[in-house]
Amino acid sequence: MAYTIEQIRHLVDGALDWETAHRMLSEPKDAERFSMYREILQERVSWDDPILLPAGPHLYIVVNSGGDWVWKCDCGFEFCDYRQNWKLEALVYVRDTKELLGELYPQLMAPAPEWQVIREYYCPQCGTQHEVENPTPWYPVIHDWEPDIEAFYREWLELPVPERPRA
Amino acid sequence: MEAMQAPEVLGIDAGGTMTDTFFIRPDGSFVVGKAQTTPHDEAEGIVRSATDALKQWGLTAEQAFPGLANSVYSGTTMLNRIVQRQGAKVGLILNRGVEDFPPMRAVQSFSGYSYEDRIHLNTHRYDAPLVPRQYTRGVTERVDGKAHVVIPLREDEARQAARELIALGVDSIVISLLQSYQFSAHERRVRDICREVAQEMGKPDLPIFASCDYYPHRKESHRTNTIILEAYAAEPSRRTLSHVDKRFKELGATSDLLVMASHGGTVSWKANELARTIVSGPIGGVIGAKYIAEYVGRKNIVCTDVGGTSFDIAQITGGSFVIKQDPEMARLVLSLPLVEMDSIGAGSGSFLRINPYTDSIQVGPDSAGYRVGMCWEEGGVDTVTVTDCHVVLGHINPDNFLGGEVQLDYDRAYKYLKKQIADPLGFSVEEAASGVLELVNFNLRQHLRSVISAKGYAASEFVCISYGGAGPLHTYGYTGGMGFRDVIVPAWAAGFSAFGSAAADFEYRYDKSMFINLGLDSSDEEKTAGARQLQEAWDELGEHVLKEFEVNGYPREAVTLKNDLRMQYQGQLNDLEVDVPIPHARTVEDWERIADAFEERYGEVYAHAARSPELGFSVTGAIMRGTVSVAKPRIAEEQLAGATPSPEALVGERKFFVPTQREWVMASIYEIEKLKAGNTISGPAVLESPTMSFVVPPGFRTRLDERRLFHLQET
Repeated sequence: MAYTIEQIRHLVDGALDWETAHRMLSEPKDAERFSMYREILQERVSWDDPILLPAGPHLYIVVNSGGDWVWKCDCGFEFCDYRQNWKLEALVYVRDTKELLGELYPQLMAPAPEWQVIREYYCPQCGTQHEVENPTPWYPVIHDWEPDIEAFYREWLELPVPERPRA
Repeated sequence: MEAMQAPEVLGIDAGGTMTDTFFIRPDGSFVVGKAQTTPHDEAEGIVRSATDALKQWGLTAEQAFPGLANSVYSGTTMLNRIVQRQGAKVGLILNRGVEDFPPMRAVQSFSGYSYEDRIHLNTHRYDAPLVPRQYTRGVTERVDGKAHVVIPLREDEARQAARELIALGVDSIVISLLQSYQFSAHERRVRDICREVAQEMGKPDLPIFASCDYYPHRKESHRTNTIILEAYAAEPSRRTLSHVDKRFKELGATSDLLVMASHGGTVSWKANELARTIVSGPIGGVIGAKYIAEYVGRKNIVCTDVGGTSFDIAQITGGSFVIKQDPEMARLVLSLPLVEMDSIGAGSGSFLRINPYTDSIQVGPDSAGYRVGMCWEEGGVDTVTVTDCHVVLGHINPDNFLGGEVQLDYDRAYKYLKKQIADPLGFSVEEAASGVLELVNFNLRQHLRSVISAKGYAASEFVCISYGGAGPLHTYGYTGGMGFRDVIVPAWAAGFSAFGSAAADFEYRYDKSMFINLGLDSSDEEKTAGARQLQEAWDELGEHVLKEFEVNGYPREAVTLKNDLRMQYQGQLNDLEVDVPIPHARTVEDWERIADAFEERYGEVYAHAARSPELGFSVTGAIMRGTVSVAKPRIAEEQLAGATPSPEALVGERKFFVPTQREWVMASIYEIEKLKAGNTISGPAVLESPTMSFVVPPGFRTRLDERRLFHLQET
């Protein structure tokens, strides 16, 4: 039931062969997967802060040098505390006109901007697009999730909870 | 004395795990050989298996092959070629507008996956199409469901399509147009245009396949897939088969190699329609069971085959098996006549795992195949299998697996069963292994029960024949308590599919879809017209059959033709294949006799009370079969000896764990070859030959009859 680090590497790259992917999807999850996955991501980032949880293709929750749990970009930019909405610290590009939406959709296929807009969130340091949301125009910035990292480590992974953030 | 008589017939079953060979002499004596399958060069595994069989007679392959009158191959080469997408580069011409259909058909996304995988979107998917989209072209034309031309063929488009495909360097072109089984002129015209273009472009020998020339059947996805298989896999497999044939000729064989086909007969490797040899192994067993049934005078048989990877069941009712016209195979819907079988993925090689959420043992669905299990280190698997359980419980002799050719490691099986299954569940190894066997036996029994009751039968109406490499290890387990009329284990159970292949007729079969609807109140003119239409189809198919035999050097006079049809009550969904009692259909009387034959068969397959002539009849297909006589195995009749086996048949005693009673007993070990007709053995006993172990637990008794068939009874 276990997988090699090589197979997990392919999984991270989206290059896993179907046989293995199918096994992973059909069989109960292997206990070592998270740790291997985390290690691979850690190897690939340029900084040394330990990754607690991957949060997107280029976004992580890490323990920073001050011991705090924070949202962090591939490039090293730190957004904010993991309990806060990182989007409030990001650059935002709002597509709220016919013309701007028209750049993404074929003619007549775009939503009406009075009803729906597209908000794109970028890293202020490297410009990586981290998230796109499409709410109604008046809707507040969506707070996607606030992970319960302690419960995840303790109850799901059955691993020791990494160092706590200082109060 | 024994070495004087040369074997006459050879049957081969080159399965995914083992290659079995079965040699039989004119007097009915036989040997079974086994060797591991060699996928890179099948001929090698076959010759090794044959050598293994022949050494029991003190013969070499060079001594035996020249005398063979018939050798029949069944195997999985073509299937593997399709599964691994290693076929030819095929160009495809379809109707304009439906070019994307072949890769998109619904069934093909979930076919072949386990039930759990089918119901989750992420755990099944489409395979890559056999013909990539860039080698597919559309041509404008349309014919409606009543064979009227709605849009004439645009010939210039056909010409353009042919040019483009040939320029792409395809190995062959396949043409499949909608409704072509009813109206073939357009498809034939496209075929001729392709031939002209190929000529112009300097490729006069480019094979062109028009579906109406091969499979004039309704359901265009099935038809298209089948004709693609013909070009994609069958042609390359022809080379493999011709290689095996060549190897046999080098060993001195004089007869051509025949191949078991899905319709239950054999065809030459030179056959026009070779795609139907895609499944052949499991069919062999059914043919063998039918052959045995004729010997023992039984008409209702359940065939059960436990191999390394699957459990296959087929039913013979009223002396004939059911033919399915639209099977799914290799995850494709196809249009081939196939002996109907039900399979589940449970065999002796099935992997055993513990589901961590439910703490229950999970059997399969994947399997170690030829790699046996943890008890064979060289196999390189890392998960225990059902075979490991047999080894630790003393049901298999680790020193006599494949006649000792593969040495199994008892300690390794024990160690890993303990580590992977027994310890996590808190059982002893014996308890855990017994639990596994009981679970496997239970699954097999449930499956068997559901297959039998699904058609409205009771087990008491059937004789169960059990075979396959692992069949006799489980026979007691899945037949116990079922109430079969009789349970038969042939002494050559491990080579039974190979034997069955050799027992098949050399038979070509052509099918054609039709729609002839006639009610009880149809006029005589209508009935006559219907009969004539049927006769025309038979004539056309008969020509095809005779041509196939001509390729193999059989003149028309040597061929026995037999016309059959498929028929259903109007409005019902399933048709049946009917044995037509008259050689032609011309008159009202002919029609009446055909309808009566259908009703008779319907009553046998379902129930007499279910017959519904008031609905009227639909002929859905015409069938023409041609056979020529070939040598078949003869089953010898031995002199009956007493009930007590001779002392030399008893080779020893072994500790044997009885799964149902959870206790160790001492089991007598007998050598099957030394048992005599009439010998009766009560359990606990294990009857061994180099190719199989037949388990007779306490509470069971078995008697060997004059034809070397064991009958297993509960006491």
